[in-house]
Amino acid sequence: MITLCRATLVALMLAVSAIAPAYAQEKTGLKPGFVLAPGTARIVLMRPSIRVGAQSTGGMYEPNADWTDQAKENIATALAKAQTGLGNSVVGYVEPVGAGSAKVAEYQELFGAVASSVIEYQFFKGNRLPTKKRKDQFEWGLGPDVRTLPGLEAADYALFITTEDHFGSTGRKVLQVFAAMARVPITAGVHKGFAGLVDLRTGELVWLNADMQMGGDVRDAEGADKRVRQLLEGFPGKPVEAPIAAAPAIASAH
Amino acid sequence: MVGLLLASAIGTSALAADKRPPLPTYMQAYTPTTVDERGIWMEADEDERRLRESRSVIRDTALNAYVRGVLCRTVGDDRCKSVRIYIDEIPAFNATMSPNGTLTVWSGLLLRVRNEAELGSILGHEFGHFELRHSLMDFKNRRGGSDLMAWASILVRNSGDIRYNTIGGFYAFDRAQEREADMMGFQYLTRSRYPSSASADVWDHLMGEADATAIGRKGRAQHKYVAGFFASHPTNLARATYLRAASIEAADVKPAVVDTHQAAMAKWLPVFLNDQIKLNDFGGSEYLLANLAEGSGWTTPLLCARGDLYRERGNPRDLVSAAQFYQEAIGKGDAPPEAYRGLGLALLRSQQVAEGQAALATYLRLKPAATDAALIATLIS
Repeated sequence: MITLCRATLVALMLAVSAIAPAYAQEKTGLKPGFVLAPGTARIVLMRPSIRVGAQSTGGMYEPNADWTDQAKENIATALAKAQTGLGNSVVGYVEPVGAGSAKVAEYQELFGAVASSVIEYQFFKGNRLPTKKRKDQFEWGLGPDVRTLPGLEAADYALFITTEDHFGSTGRKVLQVFAAMARVPITAGVHKGFAGLVDLRTGELVWLNADMQMGGDVRDAEGADKRVRQLLEGFPGKPVEAPIAAAPAIASAH
Repeated sequence: MVGLLLASAIGTSALAADKRPPLPTYMQAYTPTTVDERGIWMEADEDERRLRESRSVIRDTALNAYVRGVLCRTVGDDRCKSVRIYIDEIPAFNATMSPNGTLTVWSGLLLRVRNEAELGSILGHEFGHFELRHSLMDFKNRRGGSDLMAWASILVRNSGDIRYNTIGGFYAFDRAQEREADMMGFQYLTRSRYPSSASADVWDHLMGEADATAIGRKGRAQHKYVAGFFASHPTNLARATYLRAASIEAADVKPAVVDTHQAAMAKWLPVFLNDQIKLNDFGGSEYLLANLAEGSGWTTPLLCARGDLYRERGNPRDLVSAAQFYQEAIGKGDAPPEAYRGLGLALLRSQQVAEGQAALATYLRLKPAATDAALIATLIS
């Protein structure tokens, strides 16, 4: 019994301390043929999920309220700035009070679940589903009922943004140096995020961008600008990308 | 003057006689200040946002008011006001407290406690976690331990023992906190109008139920005093023992209170019983029903639930018993239409076709808009 426990513990410790970044990369998925012409759509930004904290020496997440507040403010400013580059108007979602709020919460959760499924089962090798192996396919959605959410009647698309940062503490970084001397790879810090665009008429997820090693320190304004730029990389319908995207015009029956 | 002195002397002696440890000083609208505590409060706030929108939360005003009332009568009116209570429809015995004062009570807990005092003892325990800021201490303990393990795994050649002890230490720390919260809840209970012995009664009944479940599943009923390596709580036997000892020592004799538990639960009892029956735990459910009947007698909801329980196990003898329970419930005059459905189905399966169809017809007559009306109708024709 005790040996069993120890084996479990060792396995647990390895999982905690030496996670090799198996899928440390970024990836973008776009529904084939999807085109978002500049100046044609009204995009609503849902309440972003932003978590910022530190990573303790042992790898635990230590949530930090001040950093999270700063990040929320900085990312909102950066998004407002980036909006002009997106080619379409982006307005913040006004959360309903009362009966509708539960439904909104459900869809926030659903988007999180769908996005993590895309990341887990399509974006990165290893755990990819056989049905998601084909190239040039992107078939995910939240269901058509998403348009019935209160306050989204006049909108065309919903933009969801999630970021999570665990800044490596000094202790973690010192440990990393010592571990490197002992030839044990240890990562310091977790910086991941994803952004997705949902077509509110069909409920389809038309674009998703995920990055498991994001840049930009969200605690200051410049870093937040960089983070938002990275989150919105490959966003469909940017004016600069418009000429390229306009090529398969037939496919835009949408 | 002398009278005054005498009075003050009596006052001091009365104070000296109170051997109970003092309660922590209560601070209204406490706001965390340190980085760690503010961090875990922020996370708890986010979790509460989600919980608030959860579909399984029971928003019935009367039931919520009842639970809050019991909390207030246990920990005091000043302390209870800041707590947000969420009753979650989960058919298991549990309640949780977040660092920010979010109290979640599972419906299975409400079903199992038999009176206000037992509910108060659990709510007091949870409030104790909040007042003693256990989440913060636990967070710090785990961080310290995981730091140590990380260093040990790199600097020490064979660090297995260190890590083994540290992980054991996490759970031992949790158990110590639970025990501390048990005693804190007990302190609230001794100061309240409720008898402090209720805190041990809860665990006695839980052990009884666990035994019944084990026997019902052809297992072995056993209770240990010493908790296992990965146990987050002291064992039920240990809790029952030290709380019973404490209540014997406290020896509080209080006037009996008018207990509103049954009245408050009346509307929800059939719902919670239905959730319980679906757990496929014949032994435990049978114990629970008998335990409830000890307090209130075999009322209609209890009889109907017992009928459902026996009908779902479905041995020929169970179907006969089930039909009897439904008939008893119907005999009381306040049975819901579902009692006729249960009776009809039990009789049909006992090959008493005519009587069974008659009962089902009564069900359809009493509840024509039932969701399963079409299906039941096919059994009649």
